[in-house]
Formats: sequence, C-alpha cells, structure tokens
Amino acid sequence: MDFYFSYIVLAEIYVLLGLSTNLLVGIIGIFSVSQAAVFGVGAYIVAAFLMSGTLGFIPAMIVAFICCVILNILLALPSLRVSGDYFVVTSFGIQLLATAVFINWTAGTGGANGLPGIPPPEILGHTVGEAWEFLVLVTVATGLGCLAFGLILRAPFGRLLKAIREDELAVAAAGKNVLRAKVSAAALAGGFAGSAGGLYATFMSFIDPVSFDLDASILLLTMVVVGGARTLAGSIVGPFVLLALPHVLMLIDIPTTIAASMRQLIYGLLLIAFMLFRPQGLVGEKL
Amino acid sequence: MSIYLEAVGLEKSFGGLKAMNDCSFTIDQGRITCLVGPNGAGKTTIFNAITGFLKPDQGHVTFKGESLDGLSPQAIVDKGIARTFQNLRLFAELTTLDNVMIGLGGQVGEEPFGAIYRPFHTARAQAAKKRAALETLEHVGLADKASEYVRNLSYGEQKLLTVARVLATGAELLLLDEPASGLSHGALDGIMTLLRRLQDEGKTLLVVEHNTRVVQRIADDVLFLHQGHLMARGTPAEITSDPKLAEIYFGGVI
Repeated sequence: MDFYFSYIVLAEIYVLLGLSTNLLVGIIGIFSVSQAAVFGVGAYIVAAFLMSGTLGFIPAMIVAFICCVILNILLALPSLRVSGDYFVVTSFGIQLLATAVFINWTAGTGGANGLPGIPPPEILGHTVGEAWEFLVLVTVATGLGCLAFGLILRAPFGRLLKAIREDELAVAAAGKNVLRAKVSAAALAGGFAGSAGGLYATFMSFIDPVSFDLDASILLLTMVVVGGARTLAGSIVGPFVLLALPHVLMLIDIPTTIAASMRQLIYGLLLIAFMLFRPQGLVGEKL
Repeated sequence: MSIYLEAVGLEKSFGGLKAMNDCSFTIDQGRITCLVGPNGAGKTTIFNAITGFLKPDQGHVTFKGESLDGLSPQAIVDKGIARTFQNLRLFAELTTLDNVMIGLGGQVGEEPFGAIYRPFHTARAQAAKKRAALETLEHVGLADKASEYVRNLSYGEQKLLTVARVLATGAELLLLDEPASGLSHGALDGIMTLLRRLQDEGKTLLVVEHNTRVVQRIADDVLFLHQGHLMARGTPAEITSDPKLAEIYFGGVI
C-alpha cells in the first residue's frame, strides 16, 4: 500500500513542478531547461532549516518559496534580452552551474553524498509522519497550485501571457507591460518549483544532486510534452504517466542493472515520438 | 489650433542608411493624414519613432504639447497614440475577441494576485470588458467572427481586426500602417468607409498608404517622404499633380 502512496505523493510533487515548467515553457514561452535547479534550491533550503532546527516546516517552506521566486526571476531575466534558442543555451548553462554547486558545496548540500535524515514536516505541533498524512499535505499543496494555475489561465493574465508568447512587440503596441507580466510569471513558476522542492525533501528525507540535475530538468520537459503543454490537465497527466513508467518496467523482467538506463532511453524515445507525432501531448495544445 | 503632434528634426541611421534625415512634420487634430513615399522612404521608421519602438538618434516628438521622448511603447499608448503593423502581428492562436481584449486597458486580474485571490471579481470585470470588446468588433463589422481563431479569418478581416485592436486601446491618434494594401475592391471600400467614420467620431489618423486612389479618397493632408525627409506637404490633389514627386515615387532619383 505504501508503494502506491509513494507513487501518488511523488507524482503530485512533480505535478507542482510540471505547473512551474508549463507556465514558463508552455504558456509564456520562456524555454527553461533549469527548472530542476530551482526545485533543488527549494529542497536544500527546507532541508537545511529543518535539519538545523532553526525554522519549523511552514516558515522554512515560506523562506524557500520566497527565495525561489527571487531566484527564478533572476534566471528568467536573460529571456528579456535573448530569445528562443539563445535562452535555451543560457538556461542550460544555469542548470550545469547549479549542479556544480550542489555537488561541490559540501558544507551546505552535503555534496554528492547528499543530505540524509531530513526530519518530517511538523504542522501545528503535529508530525506528518504517516504516509497518508503526507498524501493529504501534498494533495492540499498541489491542489492549491492547480487552482492557482487554472485561475490564471482563465483570467486576463493568462491571455496576456499567451499573447506575449506569440508576439511581444504586438503586446507592447497594445499598451501592455511585457516586462511586468514576464517577471510575474517567472516569480510564480519559481514559487511552485520551490514549494515542490520543500515537499520533496521532507517526503524523501534524503536529497542528493542527482534529483536536481539536467536529466531531471529534461524529465520535467518530457512530462509537459507528454502530458500536454499549456493546459492544467496536461500538467497533471504528464507526471502521473511518466512516473508510472518505472513501475511498469518492473513488471517486465529486465535486469535491475540496466533498468535505470532503460528508463532514460524510454523517456528520450517518448520525447521524440510525442514531438513528432503528437506535439499537443495527451491532453494539451501544440508546443 | 495648437499643434497636435509635432516631429522636429528626427534622425536615425542604420549603419550607412539614413532612415530618417532631419525629418520634421506636424499632424492636425481630427484629420486623416496620409504618409506616402517610395519604398524605403522611412514611413515605418517614423511610426516606430512616434510609438516608442525606436529611439531616434536625434530629434523630438511632442503630442499635445507634451514630449514623447524616451517613453516606452506602453506609456505612449497611455498618452493616446496606438499603431498597427504592416505585417499585422495578430495573435493567431487567440480568438478574434481575445485579440481585441488584449488591447483594452484597465483590466482586473491581468496580474497573478488579482487573478488568484479575487477570481469572482475578475470574472465580473471580465464580463464588462467582453461587452466593450464586442462593441468594438461590431464597430469594424467583425462581431459575427468574435469566437473565431484569427487563422480562420480572411486577410481583409484580419486587417479590420488590427484596427479593432488599436481602437480597443482607446487611443485618439491612430497610426495605421498600410491598412488598405492587399485588399480586394469590396474590402477596400469597407476599410475606407471605416476610416472616415473613425474620423467623424473624433479620431485623428496617420495612415501609411501606397494606393494613390485610396489616398485621394481619404486623405485631408498628404505628407510626401523621400529618403527619410519630408519633401512636400499638401492636399492629395497637390501632391499627385506634382510631376517631380511622381517621378520620385515611380523610381526616379533626384
């Protein structure tokens, strides 16, 4: 039973990350391949506060949220100057830089060995220790994220973001502030990713740089592409489908030694296949 | 009558090319002024300079006595000047109605806080804005296409939509970049009638136009531009009957 709880909790955390990636890449068109880095920063911040006992879970989450909002605004800033392909390269560099910091800053992140023994969240004096309790916590957080995402898509803000993706100049000519809209969207995406990081750290109780590297960023993009860009449903379906994949692979009798590389191979193939044959994903719009 | 819009000594070089060369002119309120001249005369560059998309190397633009120098495109729309683009620049993946709604100012929920924390207020405000956008569409004759995606509109309808989008901003001075080019006869009549009607409603129009018959029918004033410089100004009849200007227009060099 714990096995399914764990699958659902992880998938929900990735839904929150999917919202973050979809908002940037799908809706406003800032093609970021460094969302896992922001996710990681959120995770390390919450882990550091909880392990040192300096802050409780909720305040630590708030700090992580704010830090990731600021961080993501800074990371998205180059997109105001360089567009499209050039930004992908910039973002790629940012991701590599972040991974290098996660691995080498041993004092802060525990380096490649990671941080073990992150305590479970404590909310109003109650320790969220049981799997089902965690499920409730993550479902509430992700539900709030989905609600916010859905409301934005319906509101004039969502329309403005879509218009910016299509033609920034025309949006400026219509008298709208493109810079402010882009910064707001980046801030929100950062907040989503940071919160996901905090939840991930406390749920796993162990984090290491592998969870926040380039592969993780690309997995996020794959989730958005497979689920479907630009829609709430796509951001939800993608993580559930892709995280089910390892479990499906377990049903097939393949040696555990090649299971990991097999998984990467399938992720890659899925990404290519969807881009070629179904660019709108399972339940989304064409990227 | 005080000067409505005035450009003084505008200069802009792109490498060795002078797109605007000591370019000065005025536009009178309530009139339709046509900007004509051969290709590369600097017509679109002037549009870009007035609307804040391009910073002139030198020179100034004032609107109703206020300087527009250094203002962002957004601030210039707020002052009451809006433009269309020669290549339309519509939002192809949005509906006709949403294209117009992007142009409407003062919207609730156009930033994340309002959108997330006040969804009902946002929805109510949206309903009012939607009515305003529909009225604008009706004005240009596109009301029945409101829920169509732009890619399903004809070229003529797309041109009308660009006019609807600038109207939505509430601007009083409209800069229209070739609103009539590429249109069929029927659509041409439609857009000329529309421009006249906008003038009757108190708008001032600055229009880039190549078709001399269109210029003759709609223009009150014509500005003739050559090599980034205002070469002549007059009524359509004066400009079109000047043999020297005709020669420049059809490829002569002076």
